[in-house]
Amino acid sequence: MAADDYLDVRVRELLDRISADGLAPGGGSASALTVAFAARLVAMVARCSPEWEVAAGVAAQANAISDRAVGLAGADGLAWEAALLALRDAETAEDEDARRSFALEQKLEAAASAPLEIASLGADVAALAAEAGDSCEATYRADAAAAAALAAGGAAAAAHLVRVNLGVHGSDPRLERALASEQTARDLADRLLESTG
Amino acid sequence: MSRHSALSDAELVRLCRADDADAWSELVERYSRYVYAIAVRGFRLADEDAEDVFQDVFTRVYTRLDTLRDDASLRPWIAQLTRRRCLDALASKGRETAADEDALTLEESEDLAEIEEAFAVREALAGLSDTCQDILDRFFAQDQSYKTISDELEIPSGTIASRIARCLGRLKDAMEPRS
Repeated sequence: MAADDYLDVRVRELLDRISADGLAPGGGSASALTVAFAARLVAMVARCSPEWEVAAGVAAQANAISDRAVGLAGADGLAWEAALLALRDAETAEDEDARRSFALEQKLEAAASAPLEIASLGADVAALAAEAGDSCEATYRADAAAAAALAAGGAAAAAHLVRVNLGVHGSDPRLERALASEQTARDLADRLLESTG
Repeated sequence: MSRHSALSDAELVRLCRADDADAWSELVERYSRYVYAIAVRGFRLADEDAEDVFQDVFTRVYTRLDTLRDDASLRPWIAQLTRRRCLDALASKGRETAADEDALTLEESEDLAEIEEAFAVREALAGLSDTCQDILDRFFAQDQSYKTISDELEIPSGTIASRIARCLGRLKDAMEPRS
């Protein structure tokens, strides 16, 4: 599915596509859409808080991040499909082929690129949600906390995909970036959930 | 950035009338993408036709600047010249029988409106502080994360979103008289 498809498809059809026995959308696209949902929740909270001085600006940022996340849902699906096909090709091959292995590695690295950005967007949405939680109308603080929790979940899932797709556990700077985004989002969400619990 | 890049359109027109070569360069630099966007995105002209429109529009601007009644109305004047030349180009290709903007499709009209809006935003942005221009460009145009902005500008990450929001507020204020 391309990015525009995610905006045009009905929720039921999207859910069916995710659960279908096929290629994308998979975990990366789902984590991107989770971050997009979280961002839209922050925008709603901001719009419902007319007394908050910077509410309109926060809503604009949240919507911009949501658009980027939807774009990444499409990009991740395409990259993951290519990687999955290369994986299957490698699994069915009878002999070791250095060129095929290199191509597979390249495709898996490309498949880590979108989740890395998704994790970063998750951290940004959690930051916006935290600001919203501190300053929004009291009625909507729980929605801000829910947005932070969703953003943290999306960031955690995306960081996990970065780790798996890169096949690394150590000091790869991309993995470190993804894990830092995950940690930032989680810390912000925990603080907000505790304060609204 | 030229020494004239901070000038208003009215100031630029005044210098162009006085045959200031740098002012002419700045005028072309400021409006070249605008003219090209109207021709290519708004009227769907092919590259070579858009190039002809581009040359003709700026030739007319150069030769007819004295006919511009309000120096501050440079952009709408250039837009009008460009639209007319685009319609002429379409008519000469047989795509439009009448040189009339009513003949534009809805999509073309929407694209023209978007181009107008984009340039109005650009003009309003130019009136903001360098800090605001920078931070808005990083977030909305370069898609930078709060962490990247924080690291590169050495600003605490927790304050980035509210800074962007305040700059957006100033941008909105700057645009309100136009709308």
